[in-house]
This record gives sequence, structure tokens and C-alpha cells, in this order.
Amino acid sequence: MNAWEIAAAALGFALIACALVAVLAGPAHGLAAVEVGSVLLTTILMLLSQGFHRQPFIDLAVVFAVMGTIGSLTFARMMERQL
Amino acid sequence: MSWRWPVAIVLLCCGAGLELVAVAGLCAMRDVYDRLHYVGLAGFGALLVAVAIVVRESFSLIGDKALLVGVILVAAGPVLVQSTTRSLLIREHGDWRKRLDDAEETPRA
Repeated sequence: MNAWEIAAAALGFALIACALVAVLAGPAHGLAAVEVGSVLLTTILMLLSQGFHRQPFIDLAVVFAVMGTIGSLTFARMMERQL
Repeated sequence: MSWRWPVAIVLLCCGAGLELVAVAGLCAMRDVYDRLHYVGLAGFGALLVAVAIVVRESFSLIGDKALLVGVILVAAGPVLVQSTTRSLLIREHGDWRKRLDDAEETPRA
């Protein structure tokens, strides 16, 4: 394993903590955990792309960064009254 | 040995460390508004990781896009925090201005 893959693995374990907060805490706390988790997952995708020397896979991180932001904004908007 | 590798490792450690601190803060805090502070911190960790990739690979296919991802996440952090806080205030009080109005009406000591 190189340094990029080790960092991705460490952040993967941190992602489990975010998932636990999202599952065990209330909906509002879960939204905060999802927002931090989406940033973490985007970073993991970047690190894996660099670690495996598959440079085109960085597109996954670009797409997920945008979609994660839009998804979080959508959930926040729905959280106002409907969820 | 090029100077790029040690600098990239230091930036990578700082970025990953910032994200781990953000997750630790998310788990440690009890109030949802306290937890929301760590969304922005995680974005800056991602930017440091992106800069580490740029230092290692220079401005290539992966370097440019990694930097784009970092900038997106840093720019989106405050927007996410503000919109989420607004939504949660509306959820709790019916209007996000209500707490501000209450604070203005309360005489200062």
C-alpha cells in the first residue's frame, strides 16, 4: 500500500463514524453527518484515483463533489417541513 | 529524490488529519448547530489533499481536476452550513428570523 491508499483507508474508517452518527442520531444530526461524509467520500475517491494510478477516475470525485452538494442542499430544503 | 514527494506527504497528512479532526468533532459535539461547524473544516482538508496531488503530479489531468474538487468543496461548505442552519431554524421555530427578533427584543444586561 502506498501513502494515498493508507490515507484513503483511514478516511474510510472515519466514514463509518459518520454513518453511525447518521443512523443513530436524529434527522437533523444525520444531515450534518451526511454533509461531512460526502466531503470525506469525495476525498477518498480522489485518493484512490491517485493511489491506483488511474487518473481518469478523478472524474468520479468531480461528479460526486457536485452531486453531494446538490443532494445535501435538497435534503436541507426538504428538512424544513416535510421530513 | 525530488522535493515534490515529501511536500506532498506533508500536505496529505495535514489534509487527512483535518478531515479526521472534523469527524471527531462531529462525533463529540452534542448540538446539531455545533456539529455543522465541521462541514467547512472537512472541505479545507479536501483542499489540502488536492494540493498534495497537484504538488505530486503537477498541473496534469488529475492535478487540475483534484484542484477543482477542492475548490468546489471549500466554496460549498459555507453555503451548505448556512442553508442547513436556515432550514433547521424554520423546522424548529417556523421562521428563521424568529430567534433573531427575540434576541433584539430582549434588553441587554
